[in-house]
Amino acid sequence: MPIECRNINYKYPGAQFPVFNNLNCRVGEPGFHALFGQSGVGKSTFARMIAGQLNGFAGEIEIREPKKVFYSYNLERLPGWSGVGEHIEKVTPEANRKRIDEIIESFGLSACMGSGFSRLSLGQQNRVNLARYLLQDFDLLIMDESLANVDEATREQIIFKIKEMFPQKSFLYISHSVAEVSMFCMNIIVLRSFLKTPQTLTIKGQDDVRGRQIVKKDLEETMLEIVNAS
Amino acid sequence: MLHKRLYQFVLVYFIGLAFLFTVKGVFNLSDYVIPGLPDIYSTVHRVFTRYFFDVLNTLSVAIVGHILSIAMATVVGIIGRLSNWMGSLIRTAAFNIQAYPIVAVAPMIFILLGDGLSSRLLIASMICYFPLLLSFIGILSEPITDIEHFYVHSGRMRWQLEVKIRAFENMNKLITVVAGSATLAMVGTIVSEFIGASAGIGYSIRIALYQSDLSKILVALFMIGIFTSLYLAVLEWLGHIVSRSWGKREA
Repeated sequence: MPIECRNINYKYPGAQFPVFNNLNCRVGEPGFHALFGQSGVGKSTFARMIAGQLNGFAGEIEIREPKKVFYSYNLERLPGWSGVGEHIEKVTPEANRKRIDEIIESFGLSACMGSGFSRLSLGQQNRVNLARYLLQDFDLLIMDESLANVDEATREQIIFKIKEMFPQKSFLYISHSVAEVSMFCMNIIVLRSFLKTPQTLTIKGQDDVRGRQIVKKDLEETMLEIVNAS
Repeated sequence: MLHKRLYQFVLVYFIGLAFLFTVKGVFNLSDYVIPGLPDIYSTVHRVFTRYFFDVLNTLSVAIVGHILSIAMATVVGIIGRLSNWMGSLIRTAAFNIQAYPIVAVAPMIFILLGDGLSSRLLIASMICYFPLLLSFIGILSEPITDIEHFYVHSGRMRWQLEVKIRAFENMNKLITVVAGSATLAMVGTIVSEFIGASAGIGYSIRIALYQSDLSKILVALFMIGIFTSLYLAVLEWLGHIVSRSWGKREA
C-alpha cells in the first residue's frame, strides 16, 4: 500500500519557520523502511501526518486502499487497572489471538503478562506496547522510536521476528541510530532541514534478515550515504 | 488518618479557646462576654445530648447534599469535558455561576421552599457543587495522551473508557477534591440552618447567638469539628480503599 506525499508544506501555529517545505516522498511498500533525520527535523510530525493524526497542512498525502495505518511511539502506556496479559487479550482482535503467544514469547515478555505495566522496565514497556500494535489489523505500522529503550541484541531479535511474521505488511521505523536503520531497513528516507532541496532523500538499506551475513563494507557505505544525505 | 484529623482539630480548638481566655484575662472581660471554664463545663452537661443529635442531623443533610453534588458534578463534568458547543457552554456557565456567592441566594430558597429539609439540602449541595464541578471538568477534559492514543487510533475509544482513563490517572486529585468539598457541604448546611431553617446545629447556634451564650456556641463548634473530622477521615479512608483496589496492579 504505497503512500504518496506530494508538495507537503507545514508550519506549526505560531512557529517562525516551516517544518516542511515542498516535501515529496513515497513510503509504504511491504517491508521495513526507515525514517531518519536529526532531532527536530519533523520525523514524528511527518509520521503523524501519514497516520492521519495531524491535519492543517498544505499538499497531498495519497494512501491507496487498504489503508490501516497505525502510529506507535515509545512513551505510550497501558491503563493501570489491568495487567499486561489481560490488556493484550482484551485489545487483540479475535482473528489475531492465535498470534499472541508467539509474539509474547519471541519478545521475551512471557514473565511480564501478570504484572502491571508500571512495574515493568522501560525496555519491557516498549516491547509490550509494540506487541499490542502488532496484534492489530494494520497495513502500515509506524514505529516512532518504539524500541528506544530495548537493548541491541533483543532489538535485533524483535526486528527479525517482525520481518518473519509480517512479510506482507509495511513498517516505517523511526530511529536515530544510523547503524540500525542501515542494517535492518529496505529503504531509508532521510528527512532533512526545510532549507535543503529536496527535503527527503531515499537511500537503499541492507534489509538484513535472520541468517544472512551482511558485508561490513556495504553496511559502512550505506551508513556513510545516510550521514552525507542528512 | 482519623486520629491525625482529630488531634489536629482538638489542637486548633484548644489554641482558640486559650486565645479567648487570654483576651478575657487581658481585658478583664466578664463571664457574660466570655464564659469561664465552669460555665462551659455546665453547658456541656446541659446541651450535650441535644447538640449531639443536632450535629448528627446537620451531618446527615450535609452527607446527602454532598453525595447529590458529587453525582451532579460527575454527570455535568462528563458532558462538560466535551470539546463541542455543549461542553463549551457548560464550562462557560460553570465558571460564571460559581463566581456568584450561592449563600446570597439562600434567603430566596427559604422563601420558595420553606424552612424544611429540602432548602437545607439544596443549599448544602449548591455550595459544594461548583468547586467540585470545576475540578471534575478540569480533570475529565485533560487528555491522557500516552494511554488514550492507542484506543483512539484503533477505534476502541468510547466515552466511558475515556472517563475511566482520566479518572483513574487523576484518582488522588479526585479524592482530595471530594474530601475537600465535604467541608463545604457541612458549611453549606450550617449556613442554611443559621439563615432560616428550624433544625440542625446551625439553628441551635442561631438560638445561642440570640441568647448571647458563647458557651453553647463553643460546645457546638467543638462537636461540629469532631463530626466533620470523622466524616473527612471516612472519606479519605474510602478514597484509600478505592485507589488501592482499583490500582492494585500499579507500582
